[in-house]
Amino acid sequence: MSITSDILRGHTEAIILSHLLEQDSYGYQINKDIMKKTDNRCELKEATLYSAFRRLEQAGYIRTYWGDETVGARRRYYSITEEGRLAYQAYKRDWEEAKATIDQLLK
Amino acid sequence: MNEKIRKHINELFKDAPKTRRAMELKEEMAVNTIEKYEDLIGEGYQEEDAFQNVINSIGDVTELFEDLKEKSLFALPEKERKKKAMLTAAAVGIYIFAGVVLIVSLVINDLFFGGAETGILGLALAVLICIPPTCMLVYAANMYPVHNRKEENLVELYKEAATSGSREKAVRQSVSVIIWLVTLLLYFAISMKTRRWEITWLVFLVGACAQMIEVLIFNLKHMGS
Repeated sequence: MSITSDILRGHTEAIILSHLLEQDSYGYQINKDIMKKTDNRCELKEATLYSAFRRLEQAGYIRTYWGDETVGARRRYYSITEEGRLAYQAYKRDWEEAKATIDQLLK
Repeated sequence: MNEKIRKHINELFKDAPKTRRAMELKEEMAVNTIEKYEDLIGEGYQEEDAFQNVINSIGDVTELFEDLKEKSLFALPEKERKKKAMLTAAAVGIYIFAGVVLIVSLVINDLFFGGAETGILGLALAVLICIPPTCMLVYAANMYPVHNRKEENLVELYKEAATSGSREKAVRQSVSVIIWLVTLLLYFAISMKTRRWEITWLVFLVGACAQMIEVLIFNLKHMGS
């Protein structure tokens, strides 16, 4: 499990981008999706999630805006930019390559 | 309980730099945490367990503080600030233009026609011209992030007063500007129409009255929330 969470943390940014490819989202929603997809095995710490948001924002891969919820508090949404899409595709290629290499080495 | 969560997050951000970014991050975190807490309650968690759960999943926030250092408190980012200044300047310019249109139409009316048609037309035109700059001012005033919360107590109100203050101040300024410009326009319109310059200055008293009512409304709103 500790290996899994370490590896996951290293890919936080790519995981976020992958979620934003489908639709705009906000912090809790992304974390909920991650939990759902992994059958509640993985959950990102909020601090990890938000520092990843800031890094992605500074790199110009995502944009942020405040939602216009009429009831209750306003959420802060994120959407992926064109550069973000390109970065994600490059990242995905690298990851496939690395995965194949590690699989070869761990036979 | 929401207040307890906010209090906890405020405590976590005690040593964070006092910047707009930090304030936004705090708000974002609080909103998400409260939503998660409410989901857990919906799943049947006990209040205390749900609270512990959401607090534990926040993790170490001090690593975030480094990113928050630049930019001073309550300042809009440079680009937004410039945009706001330009909007305001353009709005004021259009207001002045509206005033000029009104005065010119009244003068033309006075010099060439005896009737009221040109004057009323000018007034209508001036009021129409006033619509876009009013929208611009309201938009510019709303460029500050809104601080939105369901439950409030006095301490929180005091802490957040500075943020909501600057936003409210911007709205109040716009309203004041509008009140005084309308008053000025009315003064000229009524004066030229009636030619009773000795008495039409009373319009300014009405304007002052409107301003007082505006202040009263804002204060009442404050007391109400």
